[in-house]
Amino acid sequence: METAAVRVENLVVSYGSFVAVENLSFNVRNGEIYGLLGPNGAGKTTTIKVLVGVLQPRSGSVAIYDTPISDEVASKSQIGYVPEEVVLLDSLTPREFFEFVTSIRRLEKESTNSRLERFVTAFELKQYFDTPIAALSMGNKQKVAIVAALLHDPKLLILDEPLIGLDARSSKILKELITFHAKKGGAVIFSTHIMEVAEKLCTKVAIINKGKIVGEGTVDDLRSVVRSAGSSLEDIFLKVTEQEAGMQDVIKALEEE
Amino acid sequence: MKFSELWHLSTKVYKEISFQSIFSLRAGSGLPQDGRRDVKKLVSSARFNTLISKLITTFFMSVFAFIVFLPVIISGVGPPVTLEEALPGGVSAFLTVILFLIVFMGLQVSTSFVSSKIVDVLSPLPLSKSEISQIVFLCFVRIFDIPLIAAGLVFLVIYFYIGGSVFGGLIALVAIAVTEIFALAFTVVSARFFYSKVARASGKSIWHTFTRLIFMLVWIIPTFGAYFVVNFASQIVDFFGYLTKGFSSVSHLLILIFPFSYGFLVSYATFLPSVDYLTTSLSIVAGVAYFAFAFYCLRWVIGTVREIGTGTLIKGSREEVKDTMVNPQTPWLGIVRKDLRVASRAPSYASLFLLPVAQTIVLAITFSSFQQIGLATALGVLTGISMITLLLPPTLLSIEGLASSYTRHLPLKKETLVTAKTILATVTYIVSLLILSAVSLALGKDFSPILIFGLIHAFSVAAAVMLELSVLLRKFWKEGFAVGNIYSRITTYVLILIPGYVIAAIPMICALVTFFLAASMVLPVFLIAALIEFLIMTAVVWIQK
Repeated sequence: METAAVRVENLVVSYGSFVAVENLSFNVRNGEIYGLLGPNGAGKTTTIKVLVGVLQPRSGSVAIYDTPISDEVASKSQIGYVPEEVVLLDSLTPREFFEFVTSIRRLEKESTNSRLERFVTAFELKQYFDTPIAALSMGNKQKVAIVAALLHDPKLLILDEPLIGLDARSSKILKELITFHAKKGGAVIFSTHIMEVAEKLCTKVAIINKGKIVGEGTVDDLRSVVRSAGSSLEDIFLKVTEQEAGMQDVIKALEEE
Repeated sequence: MKFSELWHLSTKVYKEISFQSIFSLRAGSGLPQDGRRDVKKLVSSARFNTLISKLITTFFMSVFAFIVFLPVIISGVGPPVTLEEALPGGVSAFLTVILFLIVFMGLQVSTSFVSSKIVDVLSPLPLSKSEISQIVFLCFVRIFDIPLIAAGLVFLVIYFYIGGSVFGGLIALVAIAVTEIFALAFTVVSARFFYSKVARASGKSIWHTFTRLIFMLVWIIPTFGAYFVVNFASQIVDFFGYLTKGFSSVSHLLILIFPFSYGFLVSYATFLPSVDYLTTSLSIVAGVAYFAFAFYCLRWVIGTVREIGTGTLIKGSREEVKDTMVNPQTPWLGIVRKDLRVASRAPSYASLFLLPVAQTIVLAITFSSFQQIGLATALGVLTGISMITLLLPPTLLSIEGLASSYTRHLPLKKETLVTAKTILATVTYIVSLLILSAVSLALGKDFSPILIFGLIHAFSVAAAVMLELSVLLRKFWKEGFAVGNIYSRITTYVLILIPGYVIAAIPMICALVTFFLAASMVLPVFLIAALIEFLIMTAVVWIQK
C-alpha cells in the first residue's frame, strides 16, 4: 500500500463545548495538491493547526508519512508550514529569524545558505533582511514565513491562505513552487478562499462546512456530484455549503439600500 | 470633543492595551481558546491582573517611601541630624525613587503601547490628530494612574506625619507632579529613541549591536537607581544634613539641581522661621524654572506620545544589506541566541535579565563595609542573587509564547528547551558572580568566599531552574507559553518559585549545619549537595522526554 503523506481519521477538535471539527477523515498522497475550502469558521485552519502540531485534537488519528503526530519531532520535521495569521518573532530580523528556525531544524550551513539565497532573491526580500520583522509590511512578513517553510526542503507543505498579502509576482512564484513541489513527488495541503486559484492549482479539493467534509474529489468529481457540468468551483462551493439559497435575496436587499 | 468623551474613548483603548500587555496577544492563536465564556474570563482576568500590577507597584512605592523617609523620621528624635536638616535629603531621595520607578514602569509599558498600534485603530475614525493625541496620552497616563496618585498621597501622608505645614504640603504636591511629568517625558524620549535606533532599526553592524547593548543597560538604570537610593537612603539623608548645616558653594549649586531644589524648598516651606534668604531664593527660582519646564514637557509628551502609539510613525534607520548568509547552530544555542536577541529589543525582558546583575552590585556595595566575609554573609549574598535569578525561568518560557502559533510547529524537543533556558539562567547567575568579582576588585575587598561558594552554588541554581522549567513544561507544553498562561495564574507563578527556592536553599542549609558539626567539611558538603541536586535534575529532564 502506498504511504499517504497525510492520513486523517475521525478527527474531532473542540473548543470547550464547541465542536470545530467533527469526525473528519481524508488522505493526501504524494504528488497531490489538496485544497481545503470552506466558509469562514468552517474548521479549515483548525484542521491545519492539528496537522502541524499547534492544536491538540480531542480524538481521532493523524499521521504524517505514517508517523503519528504524537511523535512530535519526527512528524514536524517533515512539514513546511505557512500559517494563516503570520505572527512571527516580530523583534527579530528575517536573518535572525531564519537562523533560529534553521538551528531548531538542525540544517547544514552550506546547503541552507544556497537555498536561502535563491528564495530571498525570488521573493525580493534581500533589502529587508536586517530589518526587524515588526517593521515589515504584511506581504513581506508572509514572504518570510514562506521562505522559512521552504528552507528545509520538506516533503509536505501545509499552506494556510498563503497568497493573502502577496504581490502578483510573489503570488505567481509561490504557485509555481507549489506545482513544482507536487511534480517532484511532494505533497501540498493548501487552504484558500480564492476559488479560481483552487480550481487551477489543486488536483483534489475538500469542501468543509461546519467541521465536516461535505464534498471531496477533483473539480470534475464535484461537478458530477452537484449535477452541473459547466459549474465553476465557486458555484459548486456555494451549492454544497448550502449558501446559494437566499444569497440573491441578500444581494438584492443590499443593492436596494 | 469634551473631556468626558475623550476619557470614555480612552477607557476602551486602555482596556485593549491592558489585555494585550497581559496576555501578549502577539502569541496569536496560542492563547487558550476554550469557547466564548473562557475568552470573557480572560478579558476580566486581564483587567484584574492590570489592577494587581498597579497595586503591587503602589505597594513598592509605599515601602520605598517608608524606607527613604525612615532616616528622616528617626532624625526627628535628636542629633546628629535634626528633622530640618534631614528633610531636604529625604524629599530628594523620595522624588528620585519615584522618578526611577515611574520611568521603569513606563519603559515596560511602552512595548505594549507600540505593539498594540492603537493609533492604527483610532486613525480611520472621525477624530482630529489632536484628539487622537489626547486619547493616547490619557491611555498612557491611565496605565500608571494608581501609582501616580499613590505617590502623591504617600508623600503627603508621610510629610504631614513628620510635622509638615500646609504650605509645605502644597510645595510637596507640586514637586511630585513635576517629578511625575519628568518621568513620563524621560520615558517617551527613551522609548522614541529605542524604537527608532534599536527596535525598528535595521542592520547587523557592530555599532548596531553596541546600541542594543547600551540600551539593555539603559533599561536597568532606573531599577538600579531606585535600589541604590533605597539602600543608601540613610547616607543620603546624612549627607544632605551636613550640607544644610554648613551652606557652601557646593550646596548652592546642588539647590539648582532637580530634585534637590524641591528637597530644600519643601524643607524651607516647612520650617519658615529658620529661612536663609539666599538659598531660599535660589531654590524658589529653581523650583519655578523646573515647574515651567515640566509644563513644557507635558505639552511635548501629549504631542509626542502619539508617535509611540504607532509602529509606523517611528521610522527606523536602515543599513545596506550586504549578504543573506545565516549561521545555523545547534538547537539549544539557536534558542539562547533568539532569547538574547528578543531580550535586547524588549525592555521588559532585558530588565529581568539584568536584575540579578544590578542586585549583585547593590549587595556588593552594601557588604563592602564588612571587615571579613564569613560563611553566613557569603550565603546571604548568594541567597539574594539566586532568588532573583530564579525569577527568570517563567520569563524565559514566556518568550516562547511570543509567536507560539508559529513556533509550535517547529520540531523542538522538551529537553532542548530546558537545556537552553537552564544555560541562559545559570550563565546570568555566573555573570552576576563575575560582576561581584569586578566590584570586589574595584573596592579592594576580598570576596573570594562568596565567589567560591557562588561558583559551586551555580550547580544548585541550575538544578532549581531545571525543576521550575520541568514543572512549567509539564503544565504548558500542550497549552503554549503565552505570557498570559504563565503570569495570569499568579498562584502557578508563585508556586513554581517555591520549589526552586527550596532546591537553591538545600546546599546552604547543609553547609550551615556542617559548620556547627565539622567546620572544615563545609565546602565539600556544599559541593556534594549542589552536585547531587544537579545530577538528579539532569536525569529527571532526560527521563521526562
